[in-house]
Amino acid sequence: MRNLLNFIIKYGTWFVFTFYVLLSCVLLVSSNAYQQSVYLTSANVVSSSVYGAATNVTGYFDLRSINESLQKRNASLESEVLNLKSQLAQCMVMLDNNSADLRREKRFDFVSASVINNSIRHPRNYLTIDRGRKDGIEPGMGVVDQNGIVGIVNVAGDNTARVISLLNETQHFSVKLKGTLFIGSLAWRGGDPTIAYMEEVPRHAQYHAGDTVVTSGYSTAFPEGMQVGVVLNRVKSTDDNFFILKIRLLSNFKGLSTVRIIKDIYRQEVDSLKTFDNITEK
Amino acid sequence: MTGKEVFNYIALSIVLLLAQVLICNHIVLFNLAMPIVFIYVIIRLPVNLGMSMLYTVAFTSGVLVDLFSDTMGVNALACTLLGALKRPVLFAYVPRDDKTKTMTPTISQLGLAPYCKYLLTMVTVYCLMVFSIEFFNFADIKDVLLMSAGSSAFSFLILLSIDSLSIPAKKTM
Repeated sequence: MRNLLNFIIKYGTWFVFTFYVLLSCVLLVSSNAYQQSVYLTSANVVSSSVYGAATNVTGYFDLRSINESLQKRNASLESEVLNLKSQLAQCMVMLDNNSADLRREKRFDFVSASVINNSIRHPRNYLTIDRGRKDGIEPGMGVVDQNGIVGIVNVAGDNTARVISLLNETQHFSVKLKGTLFIGSLAWRGGDPTIAYMEEVPRHAQYHAGDTVVTSGYSTAFPEGMQVGVVLNRVKSTDDNFFILKIRLLSNFKGLSTVRIIKDIYRQEVDSLKTFDNITEK
Repeated sequence: MTGKEVFNYIALSIVLLLAQVLICNHIVLFNLAMPIVFIYVIIRLPVNLGMSMLYTVAFTSGVLVDLFSDTMGVNALACTLLGALKRPVLFAYVPRDDKTKTMTPTISQLGLAPYCKYLLTMVTVYCLMVFSIEFFNFADIKDVLLMSAGSSAFSFLILLSIDSLSIPAKKTM
């Protein structure tokens, strides 16, 4: 026993070192899982309050309030445009069918939020917003700014939420070339925060430099047709059946201040259908 | 260490930590150079401080920065390893004797040239470790090296300017 104690005392420093290294490795590996505890992200109470305080100090109060009101107005108008578009499409179908019921439920709603923390230098970037579960924010909701898409909510606390930025190498978004049916997968490859790549574009797809890339609408996170970026040029691909387009992103990630979170009221219904698919496949 | 010195180190740690997460984390020059200032405390801790305490301070600093940066474990691991490398790096540039075994690594105690070498090595080693852990992919080795070089140079200049603030001004007649 005494020998054991002497051994521990003699090599105590190494034990401490090994303990901290192992603990760091455990934290490192566990942080790669998407579903992290809210306490281990920038959406926790301490981090968010520090960032919130810093934002309050650095923000220009008048400009912020004016900006927020404009954003709210913009959000409601955008929501109205999207719903009118969908109603119009519905009307066209109904007119064809000689149906009289032109009413349709509003599908998308927007919640305005301020960005209280944002990073662009890591391979996996996140941002923190000052809206949480109390405002109806749930993981999986899409986030946009006035120029284009920004990311997807990853963890929602009561008053804050963490968003996986578009500038995150692990996150892909379903997009398409505007006015066409050519779908691709948008991915960021690190480095320049203004450049991303539209992958898996079919070989026969027609495109021109300057074409707009928009969301495909194949998820509940983003409605169809939200701006993402513009095509710069084609880059080399390892797959002969598909090619890759280099995209200049429209959102300015260096200067994100106010964003909008998209709520899809059909989300639960669509998700439950996906669950149904999984059950039947089993 | 006296109580006052402990207090000074804690205050310096808090200031540098806040500077790191609120300012430095948001500065990226040419998409490759980011200043890392919070490791200054690990670099400046006295040589005779117990290694267990050094590891604890290093790990805690790293975890706190990770908590704010959504990089859980990255800085914690790099800081702990930096703590382990502190003495070997220092004694690579200064002789190991009774005087140096109890000193605090500063410009006044080491001299400008050895201190600069020590500081630059520590900062470069830290940047290489942190970016390697963060990218965790040999395919990104070019990015790791570029970001390490840019961030090391930028951080070295900032830490040296923090040091220059602590040098007492020469008395004028």
